[in-house]
Amino acid sequence: MKKLILIAATAGIIGGAPILAEAAPSDDLKAFRSFFQKKFPNVKLDTYKDGIYSLDADRRAAWEEFEDFAPPYEDGVELGKKLFNTPFKNGKSYASCFDNGGIGIRQNYPKFDSKTGDVVTLEGAINACRKANGEKPYKWKKGKLAAVSAYMGYTSRGKKMNVTIDSDPRSMAMYERGKKHFYAKRGQLNFSCADCHVYNSGSMVRGNLLSPALGQSTHFPVWRKKWQKKSEAKGKGGPTAGFGTLHRRYGGCNKQVRAKPFKAQSTEYKALEYFHQYMSNGLVVNAPGLRQ
Amino acid sequence: MKRLSIIKFIATAGMVLVLTVGCADTSKKDEAVDVAAEVAAEATEAQNAIAAAKTANKKVQSVGFAWRDTGKLIKKAEAAAKKGDSKGAMKLASKAKSEAELAYKQYELEKGIDRTVK
Repeated sequence: MKKLILIAATAGIIGGAPILAEAAPSDDLKAFRSFFQKKFPNVKLDTYKDGIYSLDADRRAAWEEFEDFAPPYEDGVELGKKLFNTPFKNGKSYASCFDNGGIGIRQNYPKFDSKTGDVVTLEGAINACRKANGEKPYKWKKGKLAAVSAYMGYTSRGKKMNVTIDSDPRSMAMYERGKKHFYAKRGQLNFSCADCHVYNSGSMVRGNLLSPALGQSTHFPVWRKKWQKKSEAKGKGGPTAGFGTLHRRYGGCNKQVRAKPFKAQSTEYKALEYFHQYMSNGLVVNAPGLRQ
Repeated sequence: MKRLSIIKFIATAGMVLVLTVGCADTSKKDEAVDVAAEVAAEATEAQNAIAAAKTANKKVQSVGFAWRDTGKLIKKAEAAAKKGDSKGAMKLASKAKSEAELAYKQYELEKGIDRTVK
């Protein structure tokens, strides 16, 4: 038996044949959900949209208090609404760039654009809309961009995530690239996204509970208390202080495992978001989320 | 006769003195030349080590597996070299190169492993 394994391993090395198999995205989704349902048999599928609050009753109770009383992201969503509805200098508005006037559409992003062969994130579409209308694009990771995205997410609450992988091979290539990033160990600490948020989800890292990757992206952009404190320490408080996009979080995660982060809206992170959001298909949008 | 002996003595002493001072001066100059050459060689070695670290880091950056602090180590090595601390620069550059090479090995290993949930 040992000999057989050795021969197989040697053949793999000599042939340089990649062992990674390309499964259909729908099979990946099925296996992904099944993994979490086996890992946390008492957690209902539809609560995964709430991140760590789907796993921890005490934290959930505290979070629900915040949500019911006065969620700190409220002013940011209001600002996003105001920005969204303020016409550009040319008289047009964001509504002119999106299906359904930009209301209740978050669940369809990121989407594949067959004209460019690229994946378009919601934040990418917001800035593309600004550019197309002669406005300066917003900075990518926080601030006004996150506020507009949070408002658009807010109008989509309750809609089921519906990211599609196109039949175009470029669409599948982006999905596979994102999947590889998600599962590959990287950085000096040799951790993958999946190590923390799949295989060790629900475990504690110092005082933090590792959130499950299933449903993780349904509530982005998020309002993080950590980001709020950081902004306030720099004298930059206000309604967008705690906001951050999914790509801001990706960069933070990569840095935490001591990997060099990619730029927000880089092809690498767009691909990762494509895979990551697809894995939450069928769960409802719950943006913006409130997190530690 | 006595006067001749005195003259001979003075001449000999003079020659000895001239030779001693002259030789000592040459030795100091040689020593200074040696030190300067050694410093220059170390500086070149440090620059080569930094260049090698940069090349290794670019290689791993091109495949998207660079580590967070490797670039910082290279910058620190460059700063040390600029200050004339060649030994310190070489140590930092060598650490950076080693990090970059390990990161590339990580990339090659991850290429062939399927870690997806089943």
